[in-house]
Amino acid sequence: MRTDLARPELGLTPAQQRRRSAARRRAKRLIAHAFVYIVMTLLAFIFLLPIFWMVSTSLKLPQEIFAWPPDWIPANPQWGNYEEAFTKYPLARYMFNSAILVVANIVGGLVSVPVIAYGFARFDFPFKHVLFLLMLSTMMVPGHIKLIPLFWLYQRLGLIDTCWPLILPAFFGNPFFIFLMTQYMRTIPRELDDAARIDGAGSWGILIRILIPLCRPALTVVVVFTFVWVWNDFLEPIIFLRDYDSFPISVGLAFFQGRYSVEWNLFMGATLVSILPILIVYFFAQRHLIGGLASIGIKG
Amino acid sequence: MEYRSNRKLLVLFSLLALLLLSVGGAAAQDPVTITWWTLASAESPEPAIRAVVEAFEAEHPNIKVDVTIMAESAYGDLMNTALGAGEGAPDIAYFWESPWLPHTLDITDRLEADPDLSRDDYFEEYFNNWATWNDRVVGLPFTVGANFVMYNKDVFDEAGVDYPTADWTPWDYIEIAKALTDPDKRRWGGDRPRGPFRAIWRNIGATKPYSDDSATVEGYFNGPDSVAAYTWLWDLVDSGATPTPADIEVLGTEGTGPVDLFIAGRLGMATLNNGHMITAANAGVNFGVVPEPHVPGNERYVHAWALRASIWAGTEHPDEAYEFLSFWAGPEGQRINMEIGALMPSLPAVLEDYPDADSDYFQGFMGVLNGTQTAEWRASHPCWRGAVIRAVSDAWDLIMLGEIERDEVQATLDALVEPAQAALDDCVPRLGG
Amino acid sequence: MLSHWRKMTTQERRDAKTGYLALSPWMLGFAVFYAFPILATFYFSFTQWTLVEPPVWIGLDNYIRMFTRDPLFVSSLKATTLFVALSLPLKLVLGLILALLLNLKIPGMNLYRTIFFVPAVISGVAVSLMWIWFLQPDTGVVNTLLSYIGVQGPYWFWDRDWALPSVAIMSIWKVGGAAIIYLAGLQNIPAHLYEAAKIDGANQWRRFWRITLPLLTPTLFFQLIIELIDAFKIFTEAFVITKGGPLKATYFFLYYFYEEAFRNFNMGYASALALFLLLVIMSATVFVYRTSGRWVFYEN
Repeated sequence: MRTDLARPELGLTPAQQRRRSAARRRAKRLIAHAFVYIVMTLLAFIFLLPIFWMVSTSLKLPQEIFAWPPDWIPANPQWGNYEEAFTKYPLARYMFNSAILVVANIVGGLVSVPVIAYGFARFDFPFKHVLFLLMLSTMMVPGHIKLIPLFWLYQRLGLIDTCWPLILPAFFGNPFFIFLMTQYMRTIPRELDDAARIDGAGSWGILIRILIPLCRPALTVVVVFTFVWVWNDFLEPIIFLRDYDSFPISVGLAFFQGRYSVEWNLFMGATLVSILPILIVYFFAQRHLIGGLASIGIKG
Repeated sequence: MEYRSNRKLLVLFSLLALLLLSVGGAAAQDPVTITWWTLASAESPEPAIRAVVEAFEAEHPNIKVDVTIMAESAYGDLMNTALGAGEGAPDIAYFWESPWLPHTLDITDRLEADPDLSRDDYFEEYFNNWATWNDRVVGLPFTVGANFVMYNKDVFDEAGVDYPTADWTPWDYIEIAKALTDPDKRRWGGDRPRGPFRAIWRNIGATKPYSDDSATVEGYFNGPDSVAAYTWLWDLVDSGATPTPADIEVLGTEGTGPVDLFIAGRLGMATLNNGHMITAANAGVNFGVVPEPHVPGNERYVHAWALRASIWAGTEHPDEAYEFLSFWAGPEGQRINMEIGALMPSLPAVLEDYPDADSDYFQGFMGVLNGTQTAEWRASHPCWRGAVIRAVSDAWDLIMLGEIERDEVQATLDALVEPAQAALDDCVPRLGG
Repeated sequence: MLSHWRKMTTQERRDAKTGYLALSPWMLGFAVFYAFPILATFYFSFTQWTLVEPPVWIGLDNYIRMFTRDPLFVSSLKATTLFVALSLPLKLVLGLILALLLNLKIPGMNLYRTIFFVPAVISGVAVSLMWIWFLQPDTGVVNTLLSYIGVQGPYWFWDRDWALPSVAIMSIWKVGGAAIIYLAGLQNIPAHLYEAAKIDGANQWRRFWRITLPLLTPTLFFQLIIELIDAFKIFTEAFVITKGGPLKATYFFLYYFYEEAFRNFNMGYASALALFLLLVIMSATVFVYRTSGRWVFYEN
């Protein structure tokens, strides 16, 4: 009642009202859009400011980095810093090593996660719920705790200074991915399984032919998140790898921090280059990523 | 008959000789491999490390060196785990932590029997403090390091202040720092010490935060000398002539702030080391070197260190390992590092040939190397570096943050005696005094 | 279990066997990568172990010290809890707001989504250094901007009261990772529900409270648990930036563990600390899990 009184359109013909309100809505939406763009751009600016500073530092001469007042844009950008960073330490080699680790871990995840999730999502057996909770609880274990015992174990197995300690765990399923994949598989109607079973497919045939293709968005999550995690992992490579030439990029970057000084400009430049692959992968995968993560919200 | 038996003997001999030869030949074809863990740095960069291995292997064809160049951040963890596991530790490495000392090979006799190398070839203080332990030789000191004050001559000239001399006192330091400070240019006169109980603490008279037998904190940490040293720190902070931790750490987290600011001309004086000295020299800074200030009448100490290059007690090839150790940490290896990198050798005869040896700053540095070192104290007390310093760090933080008054220093130290004692009591049974 | 097994039909048994088979990689991985290290840690927690020398059995001494005479244990637990209490709600709420913005269907959103995700994928030392510079009291960007509006900014990492919030701000910068999961949840909400609500005359605000939020609670629940676990594991910032200071304001629990284990040659005590942390994380998670029945709504 009150809202009606407040409306200025009162007294206009219905057609006039419709036209006017449509125009009004358009204008409103336009303003809203502009507002959103402004807010988003402002936020993006704040989020990217630190990155911008990294770029700026990477182009400076050593004595410019700490000069007062600071320059946002170096007077004489030193593009050669990037070249120097890459020749001083074998960074290209390190990025290649990281890529190998990433690929191996992705393969491990793609092989193990669907199989394990299949067990949780499609079969009933004693202690399933307990095992699922146990699996989830492993996410709580801080990585540091495991270092010493695992080092001892790998030493016994002769795997220190090989890349196996950094790859093997992926083949036994990461709990986060197993959870995600289990949830995702539960959204796929069981009728599809039954139809395939009638066509003569066995349990594993159903997984490979029906479920895995349908799980593509969730598998994208496995790929992208594995990429990010493995690319950034620092703790395990420094403990399990030794050879100068076998380090991943995360460890390679640490070489810029010497005992007595840090080559800030080279360090920042190398860091920027090192994150490019992640950004590229993310940019192209994000649409599928969102689909894959959607199942998190379904009942477990 | 006689002839025959001679021939028999000859055959026998030649057979024996053949056998020996074949064994010797097999040994020559099958060289011993020793493992070496090391770190790359500006002073000892990767090419220098490779060059040392190459030169050594050329001299010793029967020994192969399997070198692993590590990231410094991982080195300690790896040594701990490898030594703890009792296997997989390298034959040769830096054994810089004192809990690693029991795992070093005693090379006293080997060094004494060595015709080419003797302990007298090294700087005496460095050898005593870093290569010996419990009257045994447990390694060789690789390179020399020391703290000293570097002063930017341009900043001094601009402010019209005389350069510091070796006989200056901690209070001179504060006065000079004040005179150099220029807030408009965001320039400070000098930096603050990076932690308590370093050389300047000793030079003021406060020797140790607890008793020699590692039993008592009371009367040491809060004793008059310690209070004097902390009060000096309070005065320094209060002078406004030094950058705050926030200023110093603007980028540096590993203590690189002072050298970064010094090179940028924003810090008139800074307590730095020879690694920094080279960085500054390369950046073209016009600077000089003086020892840290001390109180007249007290002995002057220098905060100094070397890298302890040692052989692992569990090595299967002690002889070959010693051959390599004495090469790498001896004159040849350190010279290679000096020429390819920028290493300062721990052998005076080699250091003399340092490229910049004639420069003014280097002469100042050589003067510093002759001071009595605080090393023996710092080296043998992991409890101090870890648990105790953590327990008393509140005093440091409070002064650094300017949160206590000058006359509250004593009370602040008193209040921390109890936690420091608790930390000491917990640590000493575990790691020794 | 055996009686249960006997009561099952042949088909059920076959299903159970397939289920266990599917889970077997995870079970093996669990035994090697989790159960073994935790049991080893449990054993070490009853010893005095310098890492370099063999462990010596000392019974309950570590636990007695921890609970009766270790002020740092108390203060590090307090700092960690404070951090969780501060960063967790902020991250959850801001993540949701960001996701709502990113969910608007306007052109160019993909680019914004990537931009906000950037902080979540960069890691390592460079980021921490960037923040030191960013929050530097005199010359840092934040305080410079604040000074323009006449506000004297705090000393951030170098102030006993602001150090911990500064670390929290750093973690909030990485909110893009959480936003992407919310976004997935948002896109999973059936459009017809909104249409129906619109017809009923519900405005945007009401639609958010009546539809979006309730249907997002499962995602929120998942996020809460993941972020809770993550927040308790706060370590790198203390390790790189604050070294636990000033005045132990950021002496977080895992940092304490690290210092004891790898710097102070006190692995036995560190093991006891680590197990305690694990227990705290588990209790917190179980607590959240218990309350979930009251506020998490699943569709259907």
